[in-house]
Order: sequence, then C-alpha cells, then structure tokens
Amino acid sequence: MNFYLTIALNVIYTIYLLIITSIKALIKFLIPYKYRCKNIKDEKVLITGSGSGLGRLVAKKLAQLGALCVLVDIDETANRKTANEILIEGGKAFTFKCDLSNRDEINKLTEDIKSKVGSIDILINNAGIVTGKKFLDSSDKAIEKTFQVNTLSHFWLTKAFLPDMLEKNHGHVVTVASMAGIFGTAGLCDYCASKYAAVGFDESLRMELLRLDKTGVKTTLVCPYYINTGMFDGVKSHLVPILEPDYVAEKIVEAILTNQKMLMLPRLMYFLYAFKGLLTHEVENFAAMDFIKTGLSMDEFKGRKTD
Amino acid sequence: MLHESILNFFKGVYLLLHGIIWGILKQIIPYRYRCKSVKDELVLITGTGSGIGKLLAKRFADLGARVICVDINQEDNLKTCSEIKSSGVDVYAYQCDLSKKEDIYRLTDEIKKSIGNPTIIVNNAGIVTGKKFLETPDSLIEKTFQVNALSHFWIVKSLLHDMLEKNHGHIVTVASMAGIFGASGLVDYCSSKFAAVGFDEALRNEFLRIDKMGVKTTLVCPNIINTGMFQGFKVDGIPSLEPEYVADKIIEGVLTDQELLMLPRTCYLLYFLKPILPFKFADFLDSEVFKLCHSMDNFVGRKKNE
Repeated sequence: MNFYLTIALNVIYTIYLLIITSIKALIKFLIPYKYRCKNIKDEKVLITGSGSGLGRLVAKKLAQLGALCVLVDIDETANRKTANEILIEGGKAFTFKCDLSNRDEINKLTEDIKSKVGSIDILINNAGIVTGKKFLDSSDKAIEKTFQVNTLSHFWLTKAFLPDMLEKNHGHVVTVASMAGIFGTAGLCDYCASKYAAVGFDESLRMELLRLDKTGVKTTLVCPYYINTGMFDGVKSHLVPILEPDYVAEKIVEAILTNQKMLMLPRLMYFLYAFKGLLTHEVENFAAMDFIKTGLSMDEFKGRKTD
Repeated sequence: MLHESILNFFKGVYLLLHGIIWGILKQIIPYRYRCKSVKDELVLITGTGSGIGKLLAKRFADLGARVICVDINQEDNLKTCSEIKSSGVDVYAYQCDLSKKEDIYRLTDEIKKSIGNPTIIVNNAGIVTGKKFLETPDSLIEKTFQVNALSHFWIVKSLLHDMLEKNHGHIVTVASMAGIFGASGLVDYCSSKFAAVGFDEALRNEFLRIDKMGVKTTLVCPNIINTGMFQGFKVDGIPSLEPEYVADKIIEGVLTDQELLMLPRTCYLLYFLKPILPFKFADFLDSEVFKLCHSMDNFVGRKKNE
C-alpha cells in the first residue's frame, strides 16, 4: 500500500513539475532579460584562456559589469593586453601565467591566486586546444595535451576553488565545452573525447552539488558550434553558420548572469540535441556527410599557428 | 540551395522511416540469421581477469575466435585462459598496466610480432575510485582517465592501421551509462566514460569520412552490473544487471554489428528523454525518485585497488 502510494505521489509530483517548469520557461521567455540578472559587482572571476578569443571577450564584458577578473593564460603578452584593455575601461584585473597542461603549474597557480586575490566566486574553464588531425596522424603528445588542457585542468582548478564556494554556498563554475562534446565529428577524435569529458564533468559536478544540497553554487555548461576566433581556422560549415566571437561571449555572459544551466549556440543546436537519442545511425551519418556536412568540416583545418 | 535542402530533407525522412522499419524487422527476424561469424578472428579483450572481460573471453572462444586476454593481474588472467583453453582455440594471456602508455605499446608491438593483428578489439577494462570529488587524490583522477579513456586511444591507434587496410574490423567500447548521465560521487569516472563515448562516436564518424565502413564500432553502455566493481552502489528502481546477461548481450551486439547497446533496454528511453526534459525534472528524478545522488554514499568497490 505504501509502495503504491509513493509511486502515485511521485507521478503526481512529476506532472506538477512538468507544468510548473513549462510555465516558468514561458515566463522566462517573456520577462525582459535585465530583470533576471544577478549582480556580479566585485565578484572575483577566474577566466582561463583569457589571452585571446572567447576568453578575452568574456573577461572584458564581465569586467564592465564590475567584476574583478583573474586572467590566466599561457601567453603572457596576450594576457597582459587583455588586462590593459580592461584597466583602460576602468575595470579590475590580475594576470597570471600558467601552462594548463601541467598539473604542478596549476597547483602553484591556485596557491598564488589564493594568496594574492583570495577565493574565487566565478570559475570559467574556457581554455581549450585542438590538434585537428585525422586520428592516426595525431601525435600521442598532442592527444595527451588535449586531454590535459580541455578536461583535466577543469578538475584541478575546480578542486582548488570549489571548497571555498561550498563553504559560502555561493559560486559559479562555468564549463566551456563545445558542440563537439555533444556530437562526435571526424578529424576531432581527441578533441571530441576531451569535450565529452568536460560535458560529463559539468553534469557530474551538478549532481554532486545537488547531493550536497548547495543550491548557491551554480553551474553553466556552454556548448558552442565552431566560432570564428582563429582556433578553428580552415574549418568549413555547410548549413550551420560559423559563430561570431562577440555574439558567443555575449550569450555566455547572459547565461552566467541568469544562472542558465546549459547554453548551446546557435539555438538550432537545441533542436538537433533533442533528436540525438531518437535518430537512427543512418540518419546521423547522412546528416554528417550529406546534409549538414559536419563530417567534412575538418578537411581543410589549419588552426592557430602557435598550437 | 533550396532545392538541395528540400531533397535532403526528404532523403532524411526516408532514412528515418527505413531505420524504423528495419528496427521493427530486427525484432522479428530471429537473431541467428543476423549474425556474422567470428570464427578464426583474432580478438583482443582488456580486463579479462574478472567480471565482464572474463565472460566475453569465454564466449568469443566458444564462437571459435582466437582470444588475446589482457589484464593487469597476471594470476587472474592465467586462470581465465586455462578455463578457456578447453574450447580448443588459441588463447594468449598478456599482462599490461593500461594506465601506462609505454606498457600498452610494448604489448601491442609484441602481439603484432608474435601473433598478428587483432581484427576485433574490446576495450573493456575500467576502474572506478568512487570517492567524493573533493576527496579524490589527483593521481587517481589521472589514472581513471588513463585506463577508462586514454588506453582506448593507444590501443586503437596501434592496431587500427591494419584494420583500415583490410577494411575489416570491429572496435567495441565498453563505456557505461555513467558515460551518458552524470552522477555524484563519480565525477572522474563519469568524465572518463563520457570521453570513451565521445571517442567511439568520433571514431565512427572518422570511418564514415574515410569510407572504411567495413570497420564496425559498438558502444556498450550498461547500467550497474554486480561484478563487485561497484559494490555498495545503491539506486532505487533500477536493478543491477547480471554479468552473464550483459556478456550475452554484448556478444549479440558484436555479432549483429549493433552500433549502440544500452542495458537495460529502458535506458534507451532515458537517453531519448535526456535532452528534452527540463533540468528541474531531471534533478527531481535523480534526487527523489531514483535517489541517484546518494547512490555512491556506501560505495565500497573491489577490496584491492591498484
């Protein structure tokens, strides 16, 4: 009797939740964005890969909102440039140099940051590298490095800064993965695997925070399609347009400010994601090779010269 | 452009219908008419010392394949081999620490030199630490990635060339439902299993791109199997699987070139619903209904953890 009662209650609560969340989503859609934002003035934000591309744009936008930016990049010159651009506009920024593929360097970095800046409120794991060669042509070192930067660095950084967030029950961990973390693509074996792992990391982290009942610590997963920052130079996209960095950065900031759990860009991707579990492999293969042609996108990949 | 898109759309719909009809037919046509033969194929299986690996090795041997058993535990591995030898096929036992790239390359070089190139690779070995995220030592996190994800890279990389040349082969990735859904207490494990899932999908797309569809891939995502690996894991409403059942299903999947295998079959429904359900609802399922977020609270695992 008790067992059936539990099931009945669960079903009723399920239906209730479905209705409530649908209404909430509708309201969210109607309420103008600026009423749903949180205030991040004087919050300490750590951004990896802030020397260029997405990292730099997101850092600048957050600094404009009053946040204190802790910029981490392997390229000191580029990082300082970002910091200068922030300081000129009246924002606050610190720069740190770090090779995110080296665990010891990351541990030293986090100690450094904790002593100079203190605890971090918003952690943005944005740095990423891509080799873009066919699987058999990729060097072992490149594969390992891809995992170190795209996945393991997230672990080390989150491990260092999460305890403080948990204590205050206030914080935000942003994982910048990729649509390659949702759909596997030819020419990106190691990159896809590392981005899938980042997606898995974000989801498990969310579950862990759920278990600890720390509702003040938020997570955001960002999965953009190819972005025109130079990182994926030479990539070809057939049906889905390659994204502009400023648009992506703007959307990421919006997602952080509204505690959005998952952000996919462009919005068409939500639609494709919804069908992932439903489509047969023939349809997926057809989409990859003939329709959306993602399978051919990496054919002329050049990437950044310095990677 | 528009003309092309419309054509593509109809082609997509046609393929979907074709897939659905074929899916129904597959349920009707008896399994034995859809099998391929693995007799005399050379199969490499990792993690054959215990659990699923051991059962798979036995079954492949029973089907007439020559089996290469790889495990870190030489004693258990030899026991597996002696149990299989009675089938009359060639069985080889190799010891290898899958968390070390050099050891894997040594292993594959030896195999290529003395036996030949495997045509079926079963990346089955896996480890789990099962500690809370902040309490997991860094070295164990790295090791989890090395064994559950990176070892797949090294093994496939060293053995793929031959398969591509012959355009014949099969790569089986034994991931986990933890590679589809994240879970608390399993941050490093889930992450590494997600990576294995991503690797399989990217690999499949790569074979599609270079038109080597003779090399098949199978992704296996089982829920909790009671082999002792996840001792102490508890979840409401989802029963743990029997190892024999899982091994049977994996063999079936390999013999019919099934690309994705989820166990139990209710997981396909969850996989379909995952991108559609709102987060609050999924969280509710995890915390109240299945109590997934407390599932690792009493985790014990295997007593001896390398």
